[in-house]
Amino acid sequence: MNLKLEQLRANTRRHFFKQSGLGFGAIALQQLLSAETAAAKKPRFRIPAKAKSIIYLHMAGSPSQLDLFENKPALTKYHGKVCPDEYLEGKRFAFIKGKPKMMGPVFDYTQHGESGQWISSLLPGLSSVIDDVCVIRSMHTEQFNHSPAQLLLQTGSQLLGSPSMGSWVTYGLGSENQNLPGFVVLASGGKTPSAGKSLWGSGFLPTVYQGVQCRTDGGDPILYLSDPKGMSRQMRRKTLDALNDLNEIQHQQIGDPETLTRISQYELAFRMQMSVPEVMDISKEPKHILDLYGAQPGHVSAAETAADPRQIYKGDDPTFANNCLLARRLVENGVRFVQLYDWGWDHHGSSLGESIDETLPIKCQQIDKAIAGLINDLKQRGLFDETLIVWGGEFGRTPMMQNNVRNELKKGFYGRDHHPHAFTMWMAGAGVKPGAYGSTDDIGYYIAEDKVGIRDLQSTVLHQLGLDPHRFSFPYQGLDQRLIGPTNDGKVISDILT
Amino acid sequence: MKTLLAVITSTLLVSIASGVPPVDFNRDIRPILSANCFACHGPDKEAREGDLRLDTAKGARKMLGPVEDSELVYRIETDDVDDLMPPEDTGHVLTETQKKLLRAWVASGGEYDTHWSFEPPVKATVPEDRHPIDHFVGEQLKKATGLTPADEANRYALIRRVSLDLTGLPPTIENADAFVKSGDFEAVVDRLLGAEDFGEHWARMWLDLARFADTKGYEKDRHRDMWRYRDWVIEALNRDLPYDQFTIEQLAGDLLPKPTTEQILATAFHRNTMENDEGGTDDEEFRVAAVKDRADTTMQVWMGLTMGCAKCHTHKYDPISIKDYYSFYSFFNQTEDADRPAPVMPTPTAQQSEQAAKFEAEITALNQKLKAKPAGYAEAFSKWKAAFKKTPPWQPLKLAGMQSKQGVKLTQAKDGTLKVRSENPEKDTWTLTLNLPAGETLTALRIDALPKKAGGKWPDKNVALRELTAEFLAPGAKPVKLKLANPRADFSQRGWEVARAIDGNRKAGWAFSPKAAEPHVAVFDFAKPISGGQLRLTLDMEYGLGLIFESFRLSASTHPVNWLTASLDPVAGLEKIFSEQVYGPTRELKAQLETIQEALKGVQSRISKTAIMRELAGEKRRKTRIHNRGNFLDQGDTVEAGVPEVFGKLPGESPANRLGVAQWLMQPENPLTARVMVNRVWARLFGIGIVETEEDFGSQGAVPSHPELLDWLAVDYREKDWSLKQLLKTIVMSGTYRQSAVVTPEKLAADPRNRLLSRGSRFRLSAEMVRDQSLAASGLLTRKLGGPSVMPPQPDGVWKSTYSGERWKNATGPDRYRRGLYTYAKRTSPHPAMLSFDAGSGEVCQIRRVRTNTPLQALVTLNDTAFIEAAGALAKRMTDIEHGFRLVLTRPPTAEEAKRLNALYETMKTDFASKLEEAQALLQSAGLKEGDAARVCVASVILNLDETLMKP
Repeated sequence: MNLKLEQLRANTRRHFFKQSGLGFGAIALQQLLSAETAAAKKPRFRIPAKAKSIIYLHMAGSPSQLDLFENKPALTKYHGKVCPDEYLEGKRFAFIKGKPKMMGPVFDYTQHGESGQWISSLLPGLSSVIDDVCVIRSMHTEQFNHSPAQLLLQTGSQLLGSPSMGSWVTYGLGSENQNLPGFVVLASGGKTPSAGKSLWGSGFLPTVYQGVQCRTDGGDPILYLSDPKGMSRQMRRKTLDALNDLNEIQHQQIGDPETLTRISQYELAFRMQMSVPEVMDISKEPKHILDLYGAQPGHVSAAETAADPRQIYKGDDPTFANNCLLARRLVENGVRFVQLYDWGWDHHGSSLGESIDETLPIKCQQIDKAIAGLINDLKQRGLFDETLIVWGGEFGRTPMMQNNVRNELKKGFYGRDHHPHAFTMWMAGAGVKPGAYGSTDDIGYYIAEDKVGIRDLQSTVLHQLGLDPHRFSFPYQGLDQRLIGPTNDGKVISDILT
Repeated sequence: MKTLLAVITSTLLVSIASGVPPVDFNRDIRPILSANCFACHGPDKEAREGDLRLDTAKGARKMLGPVEDSELVYRIETDDVDDLMPPEDTGHVLTETQKKLLRAWVASGGEYDTHWSFEPPVKATVPEDRHPIDHFVGEQLKKATGLTPADEANRYALIRRVSLDLTGLPPTIENADAFVKSGDFEAVVDRLLGAEDFGEHWARMWLDLARFADTKGYEKDRHRDMWRYRDWVIEALNRDLPYDQFTIEQLAGDLLPKPTTEQILATAFHRNTMENDEGGTDDEEFRVAAVKDRADTTMQVWMGLTMGCAKCHTHKYDPISIKDYYSFYSFFNQTEDADRPAPVMPTPTAQQSEQAAKFEAEITALNQKLKAKPAGYAEAFSKWKAAFKKTPPWQPLKLAGMQSKQGVKLTQAKDGTLKVRSENPEKDTWTLTLNLPAGETLTALRIDALPKKAGGKWPDKNVALRELTAEFLAPGAKPVKLKLANPRADFSQRGWEVARAIDGNRKAGWAFSPKAAEPHVAVFDFAKPISGGQLRLTLDMEYGLGLIFESFRLSASTHPVNWLTASLDPVAGLEKIFSEQVYGPTRELKAQLETIQEALKGVQSRISKTAIMRELAGEKRRKTRIHNRGNFLDQGDTVEAGVPEVFGKLPGESPANRLGVAQWLMQPENPLTARVMVNRVWARLFGIGIVETEEDFGSQGAVPSHPELLDWLAVDYREKDWSLKQLLKTIVMSGTYRQSAVVTPEKLAADPRNRLLSRGSRFRLSAEMVRDQSLAASGLLTRKLGGPSVMPPQPDGVWKSTYSGERWKNATGPDRYRRGLYTYAKRTSPHPAMLSFDAGSGEVCQIRRVRTNTPLQALVTLNDTAFIEAAGALAKRMTDIEHGFRLVLTRPPTAEEAKRLNALYETMKTDFASKLEEAQALLQSAGLKEGDAARVCVASVILNLDETLMKP
């Protein structure tokens, strides 16, 4: 959208002559350097990287930290009692009306690992690898509705139109694999997240950096990837040969370098038609690996086509597990940013299939084994130390029950409202120090120590990937735009890093 | 402005080393200061460091002076890290060239100029013997590079280029051949400017700016009817509505004196902002977001300025303060809409208006005829009236016995009224046996529902008669089921129409909320009249909540059924009954009238209701306060509506509302409006604007490559009554536009990005053009102007929206092949093929689209159903390969090209000969029942050629 971008494109074209073969979302580093700064080997925003790639597990809807990570005996004590006024004054809620009752953790907690962290009985898998994970209990955000909160987290702005974290990262680092997109999105749970495809849009960055959603529901893994029926691979090759020859003739006639770029992009498309289905095919994995994740090749979840997937959630649905296994295959093949969205974590308890007492255990079952499997698999392959894993929702959930439908707890209708003031996320892998960070007050309402904001999280992610969050910018609309926004509030959480 | 006029060469080409051109503040210095210094030493007081500002001459004075004493020069050249500017931690570093420029500028006296775009444009004089565009472009090209413009493109390329540019569609072979023969380019241009395709093509540019979409955005992203606004834009462009009027109607059509429906429809421009239906969201928060979007978009679209930053703090680069922002915002903060659909307005299409008018005229005529009364009417009426009055129309029926599931007992008063005299159950079914008057032939049954008593056990006075059945009992015979017909009531609740009481379905029946406190009447005809014996009625009132009769009356009539109405007073309105139901001639007129009234209702119900702007009046007008740090919950000082101070005030005669804003934008003194628009049009034709940053004419934006040209075009546009068609004609008639796009090595070296226009501009077609061209060339394109959005095929499963059951249904028939402009635009899930080719999502104002070249695009044009079907249709349409080539590319193929395509054809033909099943499968994918699969492959290759995807 501006001069820099156009220069980038011009450079890209020049680069073609030198190296022939423009990567997909993979503009090499040196192209970002203008002639004048070429003396420096790297752009100023590059710093030493701990992570080569990232797997971001976003639980869309936001799981309850109080039923998974926050063991609060005091909250159990207040269970069923009216919430003290001090917790309600001046607050805005999405759905809570009047004076709600407090709601204690619904499931048992036990201590795990060297750090002796309390983890809910719903997460045995995560508990088994807890010594590889850093649990951050002091997250907070500014947004308390799904769409804006997801956007703020993933794009740095609650409004639409900014580039996603994955776009920023591929813009800054490029991709390691010439035959695969650098930023891949995988969704499960039957629905795309609330804010839709804007969550992996490239905003004002060029569209080559937008996330490519790979689908696992039986259709093409990438839209339009399959040749039409009746067109064999050999025939496609022959038509492309003719196309290339004719484009060569055009280039001789007109001399526009863009024509050469087009030839190379058609060739890349041809290679992707092979490489993408290959990498997406988990049936080649041995059984013990499939079992490690709980993956089932070829499974198409009924939730993917259901009008309302909430009604048919099953604990043994392997879609998320399949996506975790895919994520490993993708990072193994040099994909820079793998973003998983799992829909179905919005447990208000106001309608069937979205409660803490009944739905949360099902959702945990869907993800827990897969996550432990992913961590163990990355470790046994030596990829854990160069892959950053992030897990979490877009905000937390209230210590009070949601009371807009009923004021009494009823089986299948335990629910909590959106809570931006405190929630839990965890990180693992590349350069992350296992343990626990931050804490909340005795009912989990406010953060007690070591606040971590969305900007801090974003800064930390960029930092681990080798991008200086403060210097990494792109000029647009009169500002040097950054993922972490115009202010310098964002800080790298160095306490959790090695 | 003296310096601006002197600036002819582009900054990109100035060789500082040669030392020839003197330093120019706007061209050379402001960009450096703006990018590196203004953030801390600029307009924003809050962020200002060391009480120093460098954006004004006054502020910078103490930093200048003789070079050796200049603080500025010291600060940028020093080795002392503590003193060095910009400080290291800002990430900004000055290049050697920039340092030299700053030093040279200080040495030359450090003069400041107003930012170039804030000075009104001036039309430079041009030689008479040369097209003004060619004069400016040619002079600069010569001066900067010594090169001369390219030759005129060949006629095939020229007509394809101008057809794509003006209408978004390729020329037909006939049109191309005619032009090649005649060479009359102006005639071609005039024809294209007059075509309806023109408005469809140029509407796309405007709809990007207007953030047009078919859905509301955010989480739910539900449908909303906005397509009539798109129709308005197409139509306005086709009739070349001058830009000032175009502007005024969209920003403030509702505020014009006696606005037409069309003028109000135009205000949908600013109702394209998003709405959030997510549960629990604060309407005010999203109303404010929409108003901010309107303020930002207005400034962006018309003045090319980004005010967005100023909503949180004073702009760091341009002189727009946070107070300026909220003063401007205040103009837009006075409309009724508040993150909800209202206000909407019925916006009929021309055809719908015509139909409605026709029906209305017919209704008037019939009413007149009815009023006039045919001859003999009065006499017939009095005769009938006498007959009617001879017997009472309704006789109450006497209750002979009853059963109640809940044991309810009814008593009957003298006048026939039945009353509950027992405990009142929540629900019940009654079977009532009623004596029929002996010796009478009974035609109809009437129920009088009398009001329940106030209060009591049944708080709701409504009654739900779910089902009513009737039987005829004759002594000694089996009961006979009676058919009830022609149900009518004086009032029915919505969804509980009286007909549902006899439809055999117990889900709903007759009820009358919210008018439950009043008496009501229902009448049913006996399909066959009855006489003697008894009538047995079963009343199902099993709904619950006590919705059962407490007091009612049952009667029967001996009158012909067309004498009977469901009115409380059966003898009221006798004349109406006679005229409408009894007397043949008038009854017929009435029947006709009803038919037409139904038809009119049908038309009216199909009229789209479009969201429009409506100004708040009087006490409802809002006070605007500054939102501290952009937070609408943290409100500061009150501000008055006004334009940013740097641009003066509203014109004296203008009102302080949106209309005033529109007039202010379009007044000749406004330095930006005309420049921004001509630059935008230029960019669509040449790929890059004269000011490359179309979205930013402020100090962070690019300087114009041809400032005098930009100003000449801007002033000329305004002087020629803001006519877009005239502006386009001026540009495309120039030699600059008509140059050949052939790139020579010298030109590539001297002018790599064609910023100097040393040759014709060759760049990729837009998403819509890529689609439309293949449909047009293959003959599939449906030519239909305007109308609701359509759903051409998209892969299954692309639409998966949270909590919204809306589905994408692949169109069949003509709607499958409409122009891309009409493709349904869902903000959270745009059509993936369009998205691949850089179309936007319509979420926010999109000033320009980036053009990328990705493998995903190749996959779309190779494999998307739309393009395979186009290949199929092209294969079928073309008489031979050369013809197919020409249908797409206009020009004939060279011998070499034809040879290569034929070779491909032969190879594929051989391959398919042994693979008949594959051949059949490919034909089927391409939408063909039979044909030559090898031709489909050739057609697909032609549709994928680089030349096809590019403007020639």
